[in-house]
Amino acid sequence: MKTTQSAKFLKVVSPDGEGDEERLLTPAARRAFPDDLAARWLRACRKLAQAGYGEAIVTSYVRNSPAIAEILGPEIAIEMADPVSAITIKAKRKAGALLPWAALKAAERLKNEQLFRSWLGVIERFAALAPESVAPVLEKMDTLLAELNVSRLEAWVLAGVRSGGGDKARRLRFFTFADPQAKLWLQRESGGVVFTDMERRLKAYLTALWRLRIPIREPSPGAGEQSRRRVSFDRGLILLPPTFPGYRGLQAEEVFRASLAHVAAHFMYSREKFPLRSLKPLQVALVSLIEDARVEHLAMRDFPGLRRLWLPFHIAQASGASTAPSLLARLSRALIDPGFEDADGWVRKGRERFFAREDEWENPQISREIGGLLGNDLGQMRVQFNPRTYVVEPPYHDDNMGLWDFNDPDSENFEEAELLFESVRFEQQQEDDTSSPDRERKSEGEADEVNRAALSREAYQEEGIPVARYPEYDYVTGRERGEWTTIVEYQPKPGPAGLIERILEDRHDTVNRITALIRSARVGRAERLKRQAEGELLDIDACIEAVVSRKIGVTPDPHVYATMGRRHRDLSVLVLLDISESTKDKVLGEMATVLDLERQATALLAHAMDGLGDPFAIAAFCSNRREEVRYYRIKDFAEPYDAMARSSLAGLEGGLSTRIGAVIRHAGVDLAGQSTHRRLLLIVTDGEPSDVDVTDKKYLVEDARKAVNSLAGAGIDTFCVGLDSGGDSYLTRIFGRQNVVQIDRLERLPERLPMLYFRLTS
Amino acid sequence: MDLDDYRIDKEPYYRALGNEVALFEAAFTARMPMMLKGPTGSGKTRFIEYMAWKLNKPLLTVSCHEDMTASDLVGRFLLDAQGTVWNDGPLTLAVRHGGICYLDEIVEARQDTTVVIHSLTDERRILPLEKKNEVIKAHPDFYVVISYNPGYQSVLKDLKESTKQRFGAIDFNYPPADLEAEIVAHESGVDDKVAALLVKIAGRSRNLKGHGLDEGASTRMLVHAGQLVSRGIPLGEACQVALVLPITDDPDMRDALTSAIAACA
Repeated sequence: MKTTQSAKFLKVVSPDGEGDEERLLTPAARRAFPDDLAARWLRACRKLAQAGYGEAIVTSYVRNSPAIAEILGPEIAIEMADPVSAITIKAKRKAGALLPWAALKAAERLKNEQLFRSWLGVIERFAALAPESVAPVLEKMDTLLAELNVSRLEAWVLAGVRSGGGDKARRLRFFTFADPQAKLWLQRESGGVVFTDMERRLKAYLTALWRLRIPIREPSPGAGEQSRRRVSFDRGLILLPPTFPGYRGLQAEEVFRASLAHVAAHFMYSREKFPLRSLKPLQVALVSLIEDARVEHLAMRDFPGLRRLWLPFHIAQASGASTAPSLLARLSRALIDPGFEDADGWVRKGRERFFAREDEWENPQISREIGGLLGNDLGQMRVQFNPRTYVVEPPYHDDNMGLWDFNDPDSENFEEAELLFESVRFEQQQEDDTSSPDRERKSEGEADEVNRAALSREAYQEEGIPVARYPEYDYVTGRERGEWTTIVEYQPKPGPAGLIERILEDRHDTVNRITALIRSARVGRAERLKRQAEGELLDIDACIEAVVSRKIGVTPDPHVYATMGRRHRDLSVLVLLDISESTKDKVLGEMATVLDLERQATALLAHAMDGLGDPFAIAAFCSNRREEVRYYRIKDFAEPYDAMARSSLAGLEGGLSTRIGAVIRHAGVDLAGQSTHRRLLLIVTDGEPSDVDVTDKKYLVEDARKAVNSLAGAGIDTFCVGLDSGGDSYLTRIFGRQNVVQIDRLERLPERLPMLYFRLTS
Repeated sequence: MDLDDYRIDKEPYYRALGNEVALFEAAFTARMPMMLKGPTGSGKTRFIEYMAWKLNKPLLTVSCHEDMTASDLVGRFLLDAQGTVWNDGPLTLAVRHGGICYLDEIVEARQDTTVVIHSLTDERRILPLEKKNEVIKAHPDFYVVISYNPGYQSVLKDLKESTKQRFGAIDFNYPPADLEAEIVAHESGVDDKVAALLVKIAGRSRNLKGHGLDEGASTRMLVHAGQLVSRGIPLGEACQVALVLPITDDPDMRDALTSAIAACA
């Protein structure tokens, strides 16, 4: 927008600027607002201008409303000035300026005045609930409406508002799609079956059939979620597309299941990877195809019912052009579907060759032989094969990447074959480009957002905020030195939240035990409390004893009643992790560092605490002299244990020293605010208290002891898990013999810590 | 008083999987207490019934539970018109008159309850009744057998070390596929093919143990499914009723199991 032009607009619609209607009423506007409607529209424009929202809003309205009028009629286009005002007031100018533009997009998509009005209603309600997020949502309106109708859009918006709670920053993360949940909800609202909904049952399915426990992941966002429409696998990992577009409901569930059963068949029967050698792309495709059929037949020997699962996806027809993709799809079907008749000589030959060697199906080499021969035949038939556009059919088959060894030094046609696999991605990236016309603008906006977020985070991290000063106890003088240490709170650096899920997955045995324990600890089953002074039942044992006592002339015990009662859990816990420099050390005989093990243990513990519903908080600490005792809040009592907390836990890094007393006091203040009956501070530390400005070892030990004592005075229990086998002396000095557990074999910490917790709190 | 009511008259069906019958007989001769370990429905109770029949001894079964007290085992004073009267518990009955006392699922009982069997399970073989001021010397035929399911084992529920170490143990597990099919066919009346299929289906659910299911389908469950099939219920439905629905309430696990069953046939 050129400034001169906009200045003229402003002038035209300025409060007293009657008369310059010619400039405002462009031919398009005249066409959209004929006769006396033009005057009403001009009044609407002036009203916006008079309100003083700034030129951007007026300009946007003036430019977009005629086009909206063309689609939906002039009335609604004129009335729209009111919502523009309302949104500008509630959600700031940027949103107000975007609204007419987004409204045009909506009008183009909805093409119906009634729907458009309800769309406006959704946006107005949204502005009332989450004003800060209106602008980013409006920016994406076209793509959103491409996938959602108005009521589903509202559902998605509400999901975002709810998932953010009252927290603006979190809502903004959702609506800018920085939070992966946003995408997930979008897919859910658009009616597709999403992998994450199916994940558990799919994993269980593989385990049930073959005892396979292979991690299943979605392709990383970097790979472009849309760009992978086929399942892919490699040693020890399955990559599954988040959705199979075009399949809905039950069918979508079946295609996931079919894909996994197919890949699992590869895992069970494909064993060695094929060396690429001098194979041409067509031969690679054919060998893969035969191998697919071979493993499927072997799998069907064990589980005949799999044929019913796979067959419906083979929809190739026997007629049609003899192009390579068609022939390959037909051969695929001919190999699995006994009822399929194909007159094509090549397809029949392929089927005959394959079934002639039924006895040798156990041997993967036959796939190479048969595939090679069929490739030669096809070559002689002069059928063109374009590796760039070839996509494996049917859709539940994998992309075959996992079958081939690309590191084979003998591979001559490496690049060419690579092309075959590249082609899948290449093709779909093109699709991507066309599917989002706003791509450019959107990514610009997003990049901006991301940069800003990153900047603010870094600034926060660099500085930290001093939040409190605490005294320190000097055992030499026997007195506390006031305001001696400063607690500086840092925002934990976010790490990959998936790491925590992976930890839980890797240690599923422990997780299972924890889950069982949670169940028994949590239900709070009613139990019979015997020998009570009062109650609704007679305790028969006590009664009999009372009678016996009376007979032998002893005073009977009056506790002869029984009652039913529940034991309630009423405790809150703060877990404090030592992340000083020494936690960076590798644990003997393990790849993991002490901190890694602390993280694993905390992940399992948090899983347990979350399951029990005990209020809990997690924090980490290290120190750099008394002026800077660092305190990282990973999760507060009031916060849910969600992706943010997990990501903070995943991002912990070790460094600096261990000034433990100050941290104990600080954590104590947090815990004192909890109103539960029991309050527990659980400290995990790997070494003696130390700091660079302290030379006297005993000094910090005595100070910590003092801090623990004062917490005990406030009714807070402190318990320490020591990771230093030689730490007996000072840890028992600080916490008392009863309140220390030494973990001598560090690698067992992750399973020990949650169990310890159960014992401490049962 | 004799314990004739507790004797088993008819031979129970039991298909031996190894030499457990001989082992048990030897242990009985030596009066070495035994524990039978194994998942639910793997034939522990059937085995002890079979052995009681084979040895021709009365069998007193106590199903242990959390609320059980030592009095429930040993006996207690009851009130009657004249005052208190002592009533022997099942353990005391077996001790006095000679019989096999079978404590089923012993870990369910609290640990302090189970210590009453300590004096009976070492060479003393006595039962002191402190409430009565009486010590009973065990009848020569008295024998203790306990059973428990290691799957339930946890920090909260386990046998005391001092209890554990008084027992010899026989491990029960699901039988090899062909034997299990034989058992299922015998008990439910289905033909060998259906029985083999049921065993294969059970294998799927057992794969899920610890990965969503606490326990796989037991032989007992297969017998149930087989009984439905032999009364004309289609296999898929029979498996739903006898296997999938009872074993879990988790919709994901039910779905996975149902799909896996569909793949088997």
